[in-house]
Amino acid sequence: MLTQVLVQLVVVVTLMIAVSVALFVGRHRLRVTRTEWRTRLRDTAPALAVLTTVLLFNSIARQIVPDLSWMIGWNLTWAIYDIEGQFILWLQSFETPAVTAYFSFMYIYGYVFALTFPVVAYFALADTRPLRELLAAYTLNYTLGLVLYVFVIAFGPRNMMPELVEALLYDTYPQYQHLTRQVNRNTNVFPSLHASLATTVTLLAYRTRDRYPTWFYVTLGLGTSIALSTMYLGIHWAIDVLAGFGLAYVSVSLARVLVDRWSVSAWLASIRGRDADDDCEVDSSSDHT
Amino acid sequence: MLAASVGLSVSTSGCLRHVRSIVNRNEVEQLSLTITTLSADGDRESIQLAQDIGATLEAAGIDIEIDMQSREAFRRSILINHDFDIYVGRHPGDIRPDFLYETLHSKFADESGWQNPFGFTNLTFDTYLERQQRAGGEEREQAVNQTLEALALEQPFVPICVPHEFRLVRTDRFDGWKQGHLATRMGYLGLDPPTTEEAVLRAAHTDSRPSQNLNPLAVEFRNRGLVTGLLYDSLAVPRWSEGGTDAGDSDDEEPNGIDEDGDRTYSPWLGADWTWNENENEDGDERTENGSGIDTDLDPDADLEPTGTLTVTLREGCQFHDGHELTADDVAFTVDFLSDTTRDDNEFPAPSPRYRGHIDPIADVTKQGNELEFTCTASEPVAKRVLEIPILPAHIWGERTETASIPAITVADGTTEALITDNLPPIGSGPFQFENRTQREFVTLERFDEHFTRRESVALPEASAETLRIRIDPRSTSAIELVETDEADVTSLALESYVVDDVLEAESEREQISDSDPLEVIESSTGSFYHLGFNARTAPFSNPRFRRVIARLIDKEQLVSDVFYGHARPIAAPVTREWTPDSLAWTGTDPETPFLGTDGELDVEAARAAFEEAGFRYDDQGRLRVRY
Repeated sequence: MLTQVLVQLVVVVTLMIAVSVALFVGRHRLRVTRTEWRTRLRDTAPALAVLTTVLLFNSIARQIVPDLSWMIGWNLTWAIYDIEGQFILWLQSFETPAVTAYFSFMYIYGYVFALTFPVVAYFALADTRPLRELLAAYTLNYTLGLVLYVFVIAFGPRNMMPELVEALLYDTYPQYQHLTRQVNRNTNVFPSLHASLATTVTLLAYRTRDRYPTWFYVTLGLGTSIALSTMYLGIHWAIDVLAGFGLAYVSVSLARVLVDRWSVSAWLASIRGRDADDDCEVDSSSDHT
Repeated sequence: MLAASVGLSVSTSGCLRHVRSIVNRNEVEQLSLTITTLSADGDRESIQLAQDIGATLEAAGIDIEIDMQSREAFRRSILINHDFDIYVGRHPGDIRPDFLYETLHSKFADESGWQNPFGFTNLTFDTYLERQQRAGGEEREQAVNQTLEALALEQPFVPICVPHEFRLVRTDRFDGWKQGHLATRMGYLGLDPPTTEEAVLRAAHTDSRPSQNLNPLAVEFRNRGLVTGLLYDSLAVPRWSEGGTDAGDSDDEEPNGIDEDGDRTYSPWLGADWTWNENENEDGDERTENGSGIDTDLDPDADLEPTGTLTVTLREGCQFHDGHELTADDVAFTVDFLSDTTRDDNEFPAPSPRYRGHIDPIADVTKQGNELEFTCTASEPVAKRVLEIPILPAHIWGERTETASIPAITVADGTTEALITDNLPPIGSGPFQFENRTQREFVTLERFDEHFTRRESVALPEASAETLRIRIDPRSTSAIELVETDEADVTSLALESYVVDDVLEAESEREQISDSDPLEVIESSTGSFYHLGFNARTAPFSNPRFRRVIARLIDKEQLVSDVFYGHARPIAAPVTREWTPDSLAWTGTDPETPFLGTDGELDVEAARAAFEEAGFRYDDQGRLRVRY
């Protein structure tokens, strides 16, 4: 059942990306990309490697985080519920099958699309900085998010008020349970990574709006829908979503500062230069971390 | 000068004393309590009950907070650390009322596990429990009634309801699901076809804990021990008595292939045969003459005289999954080990948190070849509970007696390796042996071909499938989908109440369309019940008057319809129908602690009056104030 859901996800998202590439990226950029992809890939390889490492580490860490949290974490569910109480209920009062279908689609497909398309779109730019910032911001989201997950135990609204907040996604489309439980634990709702990653994409889209003007408006819609979907489906509290916005802001700002601070390619080039020419000077302080 | 200072000190000391006697009076504060319970993923009904009860308590002027925990964390807080005010959860219960002994006897107040998590201590109550433990025949029934009536009066915990259990099965690959209870090992044995080579029996299990830990003693990880029951054998299998069931069709409950041999309460398993010999000197006359029970009851420190001996003949030639022979030594070891997992009189004793009540009446074990003789200090039906314990291999568990240690961390006394090990791979002697597992994904068990049920000469239900694959699936809705799409044969845990109506509706629709549909809904009886537990170690929960008022704030009838959609039986006594005394039978309302209000709506004035009558006070803002 999991494979079936996964295949469906891959097919749908690939289609969405294909259409978006045609709409936003354009033939010209693709043509240039075909000639430049090697250098661009080499430029972004370090950022990509860091992200991959963090994601791999994340998938292992997620096995132990719940145990660790129950030992040292704070259980904030009641505090969150006490503060915002009825907001989720109000949001769910707009429930209709069509709305549920829309938000379920956004939560699963919209989210994966929102995360993957910018990678393709920024790769198609001659300037690799947006892509590297994007990858760095993703890395920061996952790292900081994981730290928060260790220290905060919080169950989502569907766990707190099962009869009032319907777990719309899992009851309407039980098959998705198989997918999301691969990624999420029910005590890891603060902050909402759905909200933070979608917001990260939106913030970066704003900064690249001169190159992809329409994409920025699309991400506004996507980001809002994804953030709303997590609450509408009873998975996250409003506070988790706000924390997600905060995390996105921090991640994007940090990524901006950190990217280009250390250049692996310059360092490699300098090594190569030294090999070739022995009296080449190496400024070790700014090369290697 | 001196006189002046003396004079001063005299006058100030008088003044100070006055100030001190004012200041040293502790503030009477608003009662603020935490309801510990499980998240909806852990137990949907528990959090709903906690929410509803919490709202009512708030209406009565109590400040509440709900502490949601995961399945293990919940059990660790309640059963091991006793770190809670009140909790709402499910008790494993039993089909016979003997579990009340360890649940409420004050001598267990300091132990961990389901034995007295409430810290309830009451010497009079202890004598009732002891009488129930030792009485036989008709007197036993009276003793049970007396205990239950005292329980309804004292409310050490508030029994709420017994849920009806529904499971969805497929009958096209395996049939005969109604022969054994699906919450026990017997439900998965003796299925038709009798033997299928290479066939896989697929269970959808909504609890991930068996994939993380298969230790039969780890109370945090076990509900009623279904999976460990398949891996470990007991000496006998308790029979579900007729008439005591909560399900409609109780005729199908009797396990098949077992002939009537005079014992109506247990059928043979690892123990082929057993006899009970009542001691002569402990005759029934002596007790009844005394009026209210045995005279030793009045002295809580008196050593109990043995009441009889239970002689069990072990089936020959049985072995554990690793090829070691299972002998009487292993059985004797297990009984000894469960009472103290350190096996050392000098060390801080660490009794097992599970099966404690089962072995408590066993004073001594002697073995002779294949025969074991248990000297017991309880009546026959109570002593026979020892037949239910899982038999552990001595050569493995004998090495788990040391206190567990982590470098640089102080470990609580009595935390032996045996209690915390995840016991993977588990080596038992049961009809299935462990094959592999992936955490939170699945557990695979293989048929153990050396098991005695596989022998020609043994007419007991045997494992028909070669493999039992337990697939972890966190929600009832997706578990149902797995059975419907032929990816699973059975939902091994009871379905959550909120999906039951849909499942029943779907079944009646299917019945109208065709007779040959492979899906079937199975309803089974249970002794398990939902309850609200008090931590009677602290004020005000130590006060029975307080507990009684709280009990009266709970509208069980309404909760059954709101939370369980009617698929539960509200109770005043935490036992099966058969054992419920007439005085505590449900009559549409609680016979002992009726709800203060109507249709779930609390009568706030009446609740206040009840608290005030119990000696508590309200402030002018309607807050209940107590002295801690």
